[in-house]
Amino acid sequence: MTLDKDKLGELYGKVGVGNQTTLGIMGSNRDISVGEIFLIYSCRDNHERVFFFRVLGLENYLRQVDDIARVAGTLMVEGDSYLSGIERNMLLSVGGRMLGYAEKKGDEWVFNSPRRLPDHLASVYRPVPGTSDENVRTMLECQTEGEVYVGDLQVGEKTLDVPIRIPSKFLPMHVGIFGATGSGKSNLMMVLIKSAIDNNLDAFRNPEKNSQRVSAFCIDPHDEFAKGVDKYGIQHVVENMSASTRSEVIGEFYYLTTHKRATRRDIRKYTREIRILWSEIQPRDLYSIRDFTAEMTSFIDSQYNVKHEDWISTILNMDEEAADAANVQKGTLRAVKRRLGFLRRSPIYIEKGTSILSDIFSAMETGRILVVNTSLMSDREQFLLTTIVTRTLADMRRALKSSGNLGDFEKQGQMRLPAPFFNSVKTLARAFYGLGGVEDDSPVQDPRDLPVIQVTVEEAPSILNPELMKGQSVFKDISRQGRKFNIGLLVVSQQVSVLDNVILSQMNTEINLRLGNEREIRACIENASVNISGFENEFRVMSRGEAIVTQSHRELPLPIRIPLFDDIYEKDKHRYKDKGSKKSEEHIL
Amino acid sequence: MVFTDINNQQDRRDEQEFTKDETRIKERLLDTFTPYNPDVILENDFRVAAIDGSGTDSLMTLDDIRIHLLSTSTVVVDTNTQSENLFAPIDRESLESEIGEQPHIDIHWHSGVRGDARKKLAETLANIYPLKDVATLTLPFFRDYRPGEISAFSDFAGTEYEKHVPRLREMEFLISREQLLTNPTVHEEIRKVSEYAAARRLLMSDLQLKYLLLDGALSVFMHFVRHYPSMPSGFMLRDLCVLARQKNVVVCAVSKNHTIPFAHRIAGMARDVFGDNAKWFCHLPSSEDPDGGLHIYEDRTYIPPMLAVPYLYSFSRDNRPSRIDFDRIWWLENIFVPGDPGATRDNEKALFAELEFMSRDARWYGYPVPLALAHESCKLSYEDLRLAKEVCMDVRSEMGLERRKAQDLRADYDM
Repeated sequence: MTLDKDKLGELYGKVGVGNQTTLGIMGSNRDISVGEIFLIYSCRDNHERVFFFRVLGLENYLRQVDDIARVAGTLMVEGDSYLSGIERNMLLSVGGRMLGYAEKKGDEWVFNSPRRLPDHLASVYRPVPGTSDENVRTMLECQTEGEVYVGDLQVGEKTLDVPIRIPSKFLPMHVGIFGATGSGKSNLMMVLIKSAIDNNLDAFRNPEKNSQRVSAFCIDPHDEFAKGVDKYGIQHVVENMSASTRSEVIGEFYYLTTHKRATRRDIRKYTREIRILWSEIQPRDLYSIRDFTAEMTSFIDSQYNVKHEDWISTILNMDEEAADAANVQKGTLRAVKRRLGFLRRSPIYIEKGTSILSDIFSAMETGRILVVNTSLMSDREQFLLTTIVTRTLADMRRALKSSGNLGDFEKQGQMRLPAPFFNSVKTLARAFYGLGGVEDDSPVQDPRDLPVIQVTVEEAPSILNPELMKGQSVFKDISRQGRKFNIGLLVVSQQVSVLDNVILSQMNTEINLRLGNEREIRACIENASVNISGFENEFRVMSRGEAIVTQSHRELPLPIRIPLFDDIYEKDKHRYKDKGSKKSEEHIL
Repeated sequence: MVFTDINNQQDRRDEQEFTKDETRIKERLLDTFTPYNPDVILENDFRVAAIDGSGTDSLMTLDDIRIHLLSTSTVVVDTNTQSENLFAPIDRESLESEIGEQPHIDIHWHSGVRGDARKKLAETLANIYPLKDVATLTLPFFRDYRPGEISAFSDFAGTEYEKHVPRLREMEFLISREQLLTNPTVHEEIRKVSEYAAARRLLMSDLQLKYLLLDGALSVFMHFVRHYPSMPSGFMLRDLCVLARQKNVVVCAVSKNHTIPFAHRIAGMARDVFGDNAKWFCHLPSSEDPDGGLHIYEDRTYIPPMLAVPYLYSFSRDNRPSRIDFDRIWWLENIFVPGDPGATRDNEKALFAELEFMSRDARWYGYPVPLALAHESCKLSYEDLRLAKEVCMDVRSEMGLERRKAQDLRADYDM
């Protein structure tokens, strides 16, 4: 046989009863924990396979004892009793789920859903860090490879050196991050941001690989990503880069905030203030974050049709007589004004001035990462910002997708986007989207060859709830069509149960951290992209930083431990230096 | 109805008989002893072996042929008080190197052809028992049964056995209950012999045992007319007892389901005298003992068994009393002190203290742990038997033999 079984780990036990979904294993009396992964070697009909099994339940088992409670009682009552040669009869009955099996096809290991059964009494191996890593890594390659690193394969309380990555091409099919407060969402976000930066750095350094860049618009509701939670943050990654690398990978700025002056001095260099012009807001941006009655929407729509990008100023300045003349009820006008009122009070949404939106567009189209400090924004301001950015980026790419050449694109853009914004970015857009030129007749790129754009939706239930998604929400379109434009949502939420079904059914990757209660656990299991029924107990015992990653394009639900950002930064910080300087360092060493 | 009858006929009679024995049992036969401390460290740790067997007389039924399957298991434990690993079984490898693979499996079959049962049984027994010379096998019985009278074949001259001498040299003729060779009897005999064979291997090994525990009783069934055992196993048992005495091994047989009448009354009496938690034993004397046998089993043929000394004992308040038999010759030499009941009692107490010490496993509290372990390792579950049957079917089909159904016949009708 080709496989070195010693490299699977230590021999732990034998397969007992079970079927292709659940198995019972009789194993030695070791300190096993729920969540451990065992490897079962099987060679039925000469097909060498390694089955992956996840421990979901444990029970002490004493051979030759049917009634363990009675024996315990006797030991207690008859003080002189003993258990003769009991050590070898003390076993652990381990129940759990089959995750699937790996087998070699040609030179490649492929992984399959659990549709077969291991041999009778097949040997069960317990992976040992340091011994089994390489084997497991090879066998699971098709389940773990990709560009965006999220964590390491967890086997019980330990991890193997098997990095779990998500392929960037699956990001536009939306990613969900679910976890209760304190489950490690912020750290995970920082790890993901770092992974995206690493991916882009790699793409920049190895242009011959032609790999795709990843852009991310990351909402940071507690302003922790840049500075970091503990010791290091994204700022350290940025600072560590040489100027040339930084300008290629990070650009001029990466940090967006409401109040630049309140930003720490070192970060301020890379900071832009968030300002959005009223003219860049479309009515459906607002419909996406709040519900409006039919009267209100018809009034807003009529104003938008007439006044276009000036619709907000027009409505806010409209007096009741003018409304009367336009056949609008006073109540409706007042209600709409009340709802738009926050724009007048907001420091972010301005009537006149310089907008950041074109810079955001430019950053997103060039594979940049933006950390958006929303800690000083109201919820509504934050939701509106996410909506506007998402809708603008999507509309730009939609215009591109529906065009044959740059001339077409410009027409499409004029039609779909507010004129002042489109006019300010069209030259740039032509440069990004044109294929071999910027002339009207130059053909355009396929959006799928452009950087993957990932937009974070924080506190997702506030905007991705069934009420708002019923109406004209821009997120409804994105969730269904995002993959066409290479734009994906990164939905971050403490709850799964309250999210709209459209987004849940379109979501193809879930990173499930520890959840708050039984209802969320149930919802999470029901909505997972692969069958993880039976993992209820797992969720109940998960600790901070542990997660189960489910992906519709992969058969295996992957238990992972997300490393602390500080640790991986320490490990990788040398990589951000210039290639040249790194080489010289090595030379000196 | 049945219970009324039992109560009227048997219980009433036994009650009357028991009344006659009551005082004797209470005052002279029943006693308690001082159990070992749980943390005792014996000066000489010792080894105890136990043998148990199990089997089926119908592994396969092929018309009038039945295939018997027997599994016999031997366990040797060490008191290990010095290393505080009480009664741990000695490791399998050293055990198997001394006495062969464990558990030991035997197979037997015979047909319904006249004489076939006896012939095949004799072949199987001769095959299983390690002592192959039948003449040597038969003599120990006579030495114990007629001590001082018969010690060699030449001594048969002039005795009632003279005419049977040729029969005592052939295994087949030792089976003198041919008419009774039903399947269960045959099975029972092979099982016993298989256990005795294991016992003999143990006694001949270098394992240096102090005790050898068997499951059941040390009964020998006698031929009513010829006055010697009606089956070969009877001779084998005596062969073992003689061998054990030579090797200083105590042979005893423990049975949970014995047939001692009024055992529950004796147990009740023990509770009254010694208290609920007491560990006790009760000698069941025979007619040859001083003061003779007890009235309650006067008419019960096999109690006490010939050449054996039975005791009733209980080491656990939760269980019914069990019975234990010792070789009478060994008992007369080692326990019984003629004319000194006190010394005899002291010997008994020491013996039962040791037996009790080996019966404290929490899984089978009150039952000797080596026997329990042997039982666990020999028993054939329904599932084991089903698998064995399947294996048989596969073997047959591999050999190109015709396929026949192997389940119980009643399975055909789903009964």
